[in-house]
Amino acid sequence: MKIAYLAESPADAAALTILSEAVLGRKSESVSYAGLRHRGWPTVRTVLPAVLKELHYHTDAEGFVLVVDSNGSPPHSKEHEPPNASEHQCRLCQLRRIADDVRQNVRPRPTLPPLKIALGLAVPTIEACLLCGVDPHVTEAAWINGLKQGPMPYRKRELKHKLYGTSHPSLDLETERMKRAASLLAENLSSLEQLFGQGFGPLRDSLRSW
Amino acid sequence: MIESIEFKNFKALRDTTLPLSRFTLIVGPNGSGKSTALQAFSALHGPGQSQFIQSRSAGASKSTPVSLTAKWREEGNNCIIAVQWADDSASGPAFTASFQNRLQDLKRPRTALDRCRFFALEAGAIAAPVPLVPHIQLAHNGANLAVVLDRLRDVNPELFVELNEQLGRWIPEFDQVLFETPQPGYRSISLRTRSGGYRIPADQLSQGTLIALALLTIAWLPEPPSIICLEEPDHGLHPRLLREVRDALYRLANPDSAQEKREPVQVVATTHNPYFLDLFREHPEEIVIAEKVGLDATFSRLSDRSDLEENLGDAPLSEVWYSGVLGGVPAGT
Repeated sequence: MKIAYLAESPADAAALTILSEAVLGRKSESVSYAGLRHRGWPTVRTVLPAVLKELHYHTDAEGFVLVVDSNGSPPHSKEHEPPNASEHQCRLCQLRRIADDVRQNVRPRPTLPPLKIALGLAVPTIEACLLCGVDPHVTEAAWINGLKQGPMPYRKRELKHKLYGTSHPSLDLETERMKRAASLLAENLSSLEQLFGQGFGPLRDSLRSW
Repeated sequence: MIESIEFKNFKALRDTTLPLSRFTLIVGPNGSGKSTALQAFSALHGPGQSQFIQSRSAGASKSTPVSLTAKWREEGNNCIIAVQWADDSASGPAFTASFQNRLQDLKRPRTALDRCRFFALEAGAIAAPVPLVPHIQLAHNGANLAVVLDRLRDVNPELFVELNEQLGRWIPEFDQVLFETPQPGYRSISLRTRSGGYRIPADQLSQGTLIALALLTIAWLPEPPSIICLEEPDHGLHPRLLREVRDALYRLANPDSAQEKREPVQVVATTHNPYFLDLFREHPEEIVIAEKVGLDATFSRLSDRSDLEENLGDAPLSEVWYSGVLGGVPAGT
């Protein structure tokens, strides 16, 4: 299956590919691009329509995967799922609205079915998800609790240090550590499903529906 | 490491202090003293050089002293390095050890300043053939690159291999630095294309490719300078390459994070590039904002702003910088 991944860096894209393939239960083929990149929130919102339209009209991509960091925004929850219940501040809901808008406005592809789209949220960052099972204090629930009641259980910078072992990781090091962590999680996705379910769950459900 | 440099009446820097880290990125409008700040390292080392003799700020009277005072700090060994220009003649540098010093090693700051290098890379200079002269160094504009790389290949072949690997990552169309003899006693470089193995001579390479190669060479020198000052290292490079540039500079400044056992290099760089600036979002302590008000330029460390995180929110650092709320933008624009 040809899948396009939109990520902040090659390291993020590599980890996302491993996790997506684990959910799908098969290898994906990359779409012929140098690598689709965004520059984080909020710019990802502005490039998403262009990326989706390009993939839809000018490539043979069958699927599209995007995961963004929630940072300090409200994490996605089941209450956002029913029609017309999306949360204005929730990044996943915002991305879904943008994707839905593009889907509704593109012409059908002449020879291919519509582009399948899987969106996810890393709470608060992809490093936190990749530390799942490694550091028992790093969970979605701990972060959400911190957002509600404070203080925050950890800072983004600490998560990076825990995952990479340094405050100044090179792209090589980031890629190696992220791939290693993602591969470990891919062997058994249940811990990610349990401990990061609100952000990872929607991605998993979309991928499984493909 | 030099922790700060205090400027008094030195060109555009009439009365300000530049805070420094192991890595420092200075952003600010044109004429806000960024390049002057980089020159200060050379002035600390050799205040008698001709370009510093007439360095008094515009409008300052002839009797006004011009001075630079740097603080050197390392574990147990702190000192002050001072230079002064009075009546257009230079004095210094004077090294004064802190009374608390346990090590009392003034040799280290002296050596660091002796081994300080300033680079403002220019593609034309980088591409030029170089006479084969022993011990020749990379010039401030990147000239002499061919001979420096030739020596690296001969003396440190393992580093030369690493450099070629990095080149292939930065610019995947090339996989190897090759050497030519354009005329007897001269060296020039070419790059081999990954596909087809064609030799592309330096004078036919793009400006960005040449700058990237010079940056790689600086980062992979077997004995790098103690202090490196870089004028706009992002110059001419594609935004997606800037992460690699940052990594190369961090490799110099933080050898431990690259699993290397050598002395850290203090790196000071300037930029106007918003994409490059964004790469330092998580290290505001490494960013210095240069501000120009009237004839005076001042410096402040971004992390010293107590409202920084609140101001930034989710916005890219570059966008907030561009908006002007962080300072460091041209007046009247």
